[in-house]
Amino acid sequence: MVTEISKNNLIFLLSAIGLIALPHVKHIAPTVFAFFCLMLTWRFAGVWRPRWLPNKALLFVLTLAGIFLLYSQHQGILGRDAGTRLFMTALALKLLEIKQQRDLYLIVYLTFIVAASQFLYEQNIFMAVYILLTCGVLLATLISLNNTKQDNVLALKTAGVIIVQALPIAIALFMLFPRVEAPRWMVFKDPHQARSGLGDSMEPGSISRLGLSDERVFRVKFAGALPPKNQRYWRGPVLAYTDGKHWKQTQSRFADARRDKIKAQGRAYQYTIMLEPQDKNWVFALDMPTHFADDLSMNANYQLTTHKDPNRRTEYRMTSRLDYNTGEITPDEYRENLQLPKAPIDKIIALVQRLKGFDTAPETFIQALMQHFRQEDFHYTLMPPLMEDKPIETFLFEKRLGFCGHYASAFVYLMRVAHIPARVVTGYQGGEFNQVGKFLEIRQAHAHAWAEVWLQNRGWVRIDPTTAIAPERVEQNVDIEQQIASGAVSFIESDAAQALSWLGDVRQLWGSLDYSWQRWVINYNSANQARFLSSFGIETLRQMLYWLMAIVAFITALLSWLLLRGKNNNTDKVLIVYQRFCRKLGKIGLRRKPGEGAVDFACRIKRACPEHAPAVDVITGLFVKLRYGRHPTQNDWLKLKKQVALFKP
Amino acid sequence: MKTLTLVQRFQWSRFFSGEDLGDEPALLNHRRIFILPSRRGLGFMVLLLLLLLIAFVYNNNLTYMLTFLLASVFFITILHSFKALAGLIVRPGQSPSVFAGEAAAFEIYLENPGDRPRFNLHLTLSDTAVMNLAANSKAGIRLTSKTTHRGWHHCGTVTLSSTFPLGLFRVWSPLRFNLKTLVYPKPSVQELPFPMSPDDASTQGATRQGVDDFYGLQEYQKGDSIKHIHWQAYAKGQGLISRRYSGEQGAALWLTYDATHAQSLEERLSQLCRWVLDAEKAGVHYGLVLPGFKASPGLGLAHRNKCLKALALF
Repeated sequence: MVTEISKNNLIFLLSAIGLIALPHVKHIAPTVFAFFCLMLTWRFAGVWRPRWLPNKALLFVLTLAGIFLLYSQHQGILGRDAGTRLFMTALALKLLEIKQQRDLYLIVYLTFIVAASQFLYEQNIFMAVYILLTCGVLLATLISLNNTKQDNVLALKTAGVIIVQALPIAIALFMLFPRVEAPRWMVFKDPHQARSGLGDSMEPGSISRLGLSDERVFRVKFAGALPPKNQRYWRGPVLAYTDGKHWKQTQSRFADARRDKIKAQGRAYQYTIMLEPQDKNWVFALDMPTHFADDLSMNANYQLTTHKDPNRRTEYRMTSRLDYNTGEITPDEYRENLQLPKAPIDKIIALVQRLKGFDTAPETFIQALMQHFRQEDFHYTLMPPLMEDKPIETFLFEKRLGFCGHYASAFVYLMRVAHIPARVVTGYQGGEFNQVGKFLEIRQAHAHAWAEVWLQNRGWVRIDPTTAIAPERVEQNVDIEQQIASGAVSFIESDAAQALSWLGDVRQLWGSLDYSWQRWVINYNSANQARFLSSFGIETLRQMLYWLMAIVAFITALLSWLLLRGKNNNTDKVLIVYQRFCRKLGKIGLRRKPGEGAVDFACRIKRACPEHAPAVDVITGLFVKLRYGRHPTQNDWLKLKKQVALFKP
Repeated sequence: MKTLTLVQRFQWSRFFSGEDLGDEPALLNHRRIFILPSRRGLGFMVLLLLLLLIAFVYNNNLTYMLTFLLASVFFITILHSFKALAGLIVRPGQSPSVFAGEAAAFEIYLENPGDRPRFNLHLTLSDTAVMNLAANSKAGIRLTSKTTHRGWHHCGTVTLSSTFPLGLFRVWSPLRFNLKTLVYPKPSVQELPFPMSPDDASTQGATRQGVDDFYGLQEYQKGDSIKHIHWQAYAKGQGLISRRYSGEQGAALWLTYDATHAQSLEERLSQLCRWVLDAEKAGVHYGLVLPGFKASPGLGLAHRNKCLKALALF
């Protein structure tokens, strides 16, 4: 069926397409987006000037241009970016070839795919709402296509009603549709931009750079109470090798074997950590994790790594204890953690000697060194001076200005000089507590470095030299905004102080909303689904399907009732009552013939049984007035009902 | 409006050609309305599968959500499609007789007793009429169907359908009313002279010319040709008076089956039809004789229709 496509329909549809494709300006190659815009504008112009539209030959050339454009991107047709480009180009070309209604449907379907491709780039609430609204507009264009009466407002309204009615079933499907993770071969790797974060190695200034970023790293929700503030150390890569300037990770040769040796006691903190997408497969756990999911493993340095794609936002559940003993040290480990690039200079030996590093118990030396940092003229700053050459010596004896990285590396260096196995641990410390969502939010600015020392009978023990110089660093929160704005470290008194300002409230509310969104919508994967559903007693796939069917059936029944119940409007009610009257007459053999008017019927009744004439006249009069009259009243209606009820032939 | 027995409800023919409704109006309800996805609806299903695949491969929950929302919209549309037709009342109307080869016109009345307007209603017989129906309103529509043979021409199944709201489903209701129209034989194109009456062959020619010979006035009788009414007298208030012509007296024109010289039955009937029409036009009293049928001479629409009906059903 070839139907004329009206201008109104075209403008409506093209606008919807423009709205849906718009956010891709941030995501896809500018050339492809420009091509799309050109075609869309061309098509728009064609609404008023149909002669301007390309003919077959030109369309063929344009198609070749599109193919060339795709080919020039050198990335095939598979994968997120390539697929999006392909669909955008196909949609752009199809726009110029609208001949029948069928073409419009194809275009609408392509646009839905482009809408879905937006979610592959951004999954925040704004994007979801935006796409939901624009898809509503797209559905409205379909409605106006199927309505010869061109009424866009009505079409939008109908689309809105349909979407609202569709939401319950969609949500039920969302919750109960079994999630299966795609096999690895199906997951297309796309190049992604490098992200900032902790690195494999630490050099002077690497952590203070992170201190200027409020980018979120992960969020943690505790099942019960939170650990004390000064114990919130999130363990990351452990750096044992140093060349005097840089600190690097050593190869972990004893994976997993170490795990069983940990003797942990005290309160078990259960928590869920949601990691933002990152480049490395590290998972930051509260020192010291004792139980964790199967998709994680622990290396010899007690750092957790994941087997999953770190480029995805992922949730992990684990348990940590603050009081732990890692036990014995292996000879290899011992050697590694005493490694020094070259013999220390005399000044350092003198310092260690002065602090009795060589002839007292390690604990005493640690105390002395911390005392040294505290009492001497050391300062804590996010903007330390450059110490390119011999950073440790420069820091200890000249500048005495530094960030956590400087203190940790100097501390570890001195420990090693004193023959105490020590190493640098990097990770995050603290976190911002969200009052609304009751979770901790850890940002890049919370990046931290501390030291770990191996002590007889105690195993690896965490020592944070920064606490000696800036105890607020761990006792209180870093005021990130202030820190970023001024470039200087500043701390805020407590969480309460932050909550005072309404801006802080809004920020926390938003943070909480976003966290819930990430947890329950974006990150609702097979594991989360299983956990969520098992809290309702739904365990197996079969149960899931039964529940799904039951819920969909229930919603459908409810909707059918809402949509299809006979809306008893006045005319219907009157007719029903009149039919009751007719049925009563039917019992004595008087039936209204099809097409016989009420008045004619009344005449016939009166002829047949004159004794009912007054009642029949009243009923017929009321019926005619209610049904065809200009101003029927409620009173007439009640009277009719009464009369019919009283009528006995 | 009649109810169906259980056996009738499950008859396949109801699905394809609709139930036999007779002359009664049909209220469109769940028993008379059928819904299936249109070709576009099937395309939409392919789209849903594709979206599901994208959601699966990228493990993207918002794409899952979009897919489920669209799937749900697709599902809900079934109810809306049903609503597009449900509650409408369809009544059969008149159908004037036609000559074979002309298009028969059947009147169908649609009533929307509900408070919702109905959009994009398609009524299909051999061609399709599209209409919108406002809330609480009625509309009549004339559907045509080509005729080829004389006799009763049955309207057959009228299909009321709609693709509202999204075009993903086609909802339809086949309606088979007892709507038929009488198709007269096609009038012959040959202009043959009237046949000579077998009993009065000699006067036939005279009678033919005598049509115009004014004979006198007589009071109007039913069946008199309107052309013969003495309008001047009527205008003077003398009542209806017909002019009488000599040719009409006694010597009526007999159109007999045997008088036709054509080869086949149909050609003969066609010729008779032509004569009936010509005689009617000329205002000549005529009678029709067919094997097994005889109409005594007369004139006027009722007489003409009686004769044509006899020809149509012969």
